[in-house]
Amino acid sequence: MDIELVCLLSMLAVFLLANLLLKLPVSISMILGAIVGALVGGQGIPVRHLFEGTFTYIDTILIISTAMLFMTVIQESGALEALNAFIVTKFYKVPALMLIFLMLVIMFPGMITGSSTAAVLSAGALVAPVLLLIGIPKEKAGAIIAIGAIMGMAAPPINIPAMLIGGGVDMPYIGFDGPLFLLTIPCAIFAVLFLGLKYCKNLDIEKLKDGLDTEIGKKYGFKLYIPIIVLFVLLVVSKAFPKFPQLGTCLIFLISAVVGLFTGKRFNFWEKSLSAMETTIPVLAKLMGVGMFIQVLTLVGARGWIVVSCLGLGMVFVYIATFTIMPGFGAISSYGAASVIGVPFLLVIIQNTSCNDIIVAAVLAFTCCLGDLMPPTALAGNYAAQIVGLKYKKVLVCCVIPFLVCIAVAVAVIFNTNALAFLTK
Amino acid sequence: MKKIPKHIITASILCVFVVAAVIYLAIVFRSAKQEEPIYAGPGVTEVRKLSYWFPGLANTSGDTDVYILDSGVPGASMLVLGGTHPNEPSGFISAVMLVEYCRPKAGTLYVIPRANNSAFTCTDPQEAAPMKFYIDTDGGTRAFRFGSRATNPIDQWPDSEVYVHASSGQKLSGSETRNLNRAYPGREDGNLTEKIAYGITTLIRNEDIEITVDLHEASPEYTTVNAIVAHEDALELAALTLWEVEDSFQISVEKSPTNLHGLTHRELGDFTDTWALLMETANPSQGRLHGRIDSDLVVSGKDKFYTRAATYGAVTVPYTESGISLSERCARHITCLVQFAQQYAFVGSEGDLDLGDMPTYRQILENGIGHYLADAQ
Repeated sequence: MDIELVCLLSMLAVFLLANLLLKLPVSISMILGAIVGALVGGQGIPVRHLFEGTFTYIDTILIISTAMLFMTVIQESGALEALNAFIVTKFYKVPALMLIFLMLVIMFPGMITGSSTAAVLSAGALVAPVLLLIGIPKEKAGAIIAIGAIMGMAAPPINIPAMLIGGGVDMPYIGFDGPLFLLTIPCAIFAVLFLGLKYCKNLDIEKLKDGLDTEIGKKYGFKLYIPIIVLFVLLVVSKAFPKFPQLGTCLIFLISAVVGLFTGKRFNFWEKSLSAMETTIPVLAKLMGVGMFIQVLTLVGARGWIVVSCLGLGMVFVYIATFTIMPGFGAISSYGAASVIGVPFLLVIIQNTSCNDIIVAAVLAFTCCLGDLMPPTALAGNYAAQIVGLKYKKVLVCCVIPFLVCIAVAVAVIFNTNALAFLTK
Repeated sequence: MKKIPKHIITASILCVFVVAAVIYLAIVFRSAKQEEPIYAGPGVTEVRKLSYWFPGLANTSGDTDVYILDSGVPGASMLVLGGTHPNEPSGFISAVMLVEYCRPKAGTLYVIPRANNSAFTCTDPQEAAPMKFYIDTDGGTRAFRFGSRATNPIDQWPDSEVYVHASSGQKLSGSETRNLNRAYPGREDGNLTEKIAYGITTLIRNEDIEITVDLHEASPEYTTVNAIVAHEDALELAALTLWEVEDSFQISVEKSPTNLHGLTHRELGDFTDTWALLMETANPSQGRLHGRIDSDLVVSGKDKFYTRAATYGAVTVPYTESGISLSERCARHITCLVQFAQQYAFVGSEGDLDLGDMPTYRQILENGIGHYLADAQ
């Protein structure tokens, strides 16, 4: 048995033991797994590597932190309640259209930032109360948000896993829009209708109004929505005019949050933001633990063992792994899956088949994005669950069917790349 | 006496532990700022900073040494870029070897061993790379830094989600924002990486450099590896070189793609009069398939997983248990550089370029690259 496999098994065993039996937090369990892996691999306790690994997700951590501040502001200022009342009263007569519209709203921030986290924490948090209000159960509302955010992350114009995979083989990020729309839009529409439609076929607007605060919108008027408008305008402008100085997603969330302090109800920002950060720190710690874990996997050679073992099982297994191990690797990192597995898989597929390389890359990127549903990291799933006030496991169960449909669509596309090549023009 | 609550004690112990770790790690990470010595050899006539050509780089971590090896005999000039990506050590070590060993007989050689000086001061999270690797010379062991593919985020951060190449509008992953070889021709008022690219472009323009060669490495599973990538203006020179070296080793010539922007072989050829070339050797420590990573992997190039992957057809270069050593990778670079200089006489118009008595491919393989480096001092 390869020592690298022994290291991998030791790391997983210690992680599971600490998390499931000792009930330690995921983050601490991953740190313990990483330390044991390094010891088994003869690296001692590699403090430098453990520390360096935590920086893998520093940008994501900052985006999550600033997005939480933004969400706190729009919740406490009353903007969220007013927006819910507006959407429900305007669209309740055409529930299917309303659901698809809400799904596109969830997807939008992911489409322009390439981040499911940004989508969940901005539009997802805005839409969640609406979904709950119209009668969709919490777990299904969470699943809609999680799947929507992931579809947004995968949809064009920005798909970062596609960029990472393309960058690994010097493939320009050109021609991806068509294939990515084909993969994401049907899946998103299916997911929201499958999960939500049966709950909102006969909506009683009078009952709904009982649960809505229609007064706050009247009291503060249009200015209540200014922070949300500022957020979306800055996100769009920064992408539409990339040659102008970039504010960055973190600063955009912060600017929008500051604007929101002056546009609605007054509240104690310090107290509320501390409370919001307390709820998010476990997820941030989990990201840091995952960073350590993957750094040690690489250090001891277990990463190489995983990739080479997948490649060694032949083309059939490469296809199977594309739709199982690649999204599964999202348990560590969906971007990591693109970089670590996506690049060698793309090379193997295009070297051994006559598939259209852009569409293959798009499918690989799409399946990488689905990894944001995979626990323990599960960026999209965890935050969607948090927004609807549930444990992630319940939301995950509701994501299973839409996830399988996404995989089925991806399978259908990868085996018909040449027929779909016109989408890359 | 009031008892201190247990959670306060626990928190205090953790704080002390964190402070100690931070102090220790600060010392470790700051040690990467300590430059390894490069000893100017007999051919070096002058050492300037890149900021000499672009003062905007002065007093920044992007400023770097430019070694000038002027033969004193008028002729053509060549610029060699090493360390564009400090995680690709054969480019860096080949450039160091030129500085310490080469003695041109005609024309002028410019060498920048640390093209992205900032990227030598950090490593990439998740890659678990060693901070240093060690080469045995005739007079002891020398340590060299193994850096990052990208500018240190301490010097340039944060990255936007999407990197937009300034002159073409091409979109790439945001992680490429700090990649020097996606920044050419650079911008005078751009970020640090773009400024470094601008400085190099300015040097080429001001000194009328005839040939520019950017030395790289790629993972053995990559499609463009063991290759010379040439701008269309430099294709003939690359082809002549190929004919001269293919008896010694397998190498291919590829034309620089016109739709891939920011790279030396495209932008330096388009925006200056230089003949732009880029070379890639196969570096197992850089790929995604390698096993345990340490200095030995970097230098010996032996890796059991790459050997295994080769049997699956998952690598694009010949790879056996004997690996692809740093000496072999440097030998490829050096041999091609010598040939670029020699073949220029047949296709160029600015006179001869003769790098003098340089070792052959076989000699570097037999003696090791350390034999041609200065002794440890």
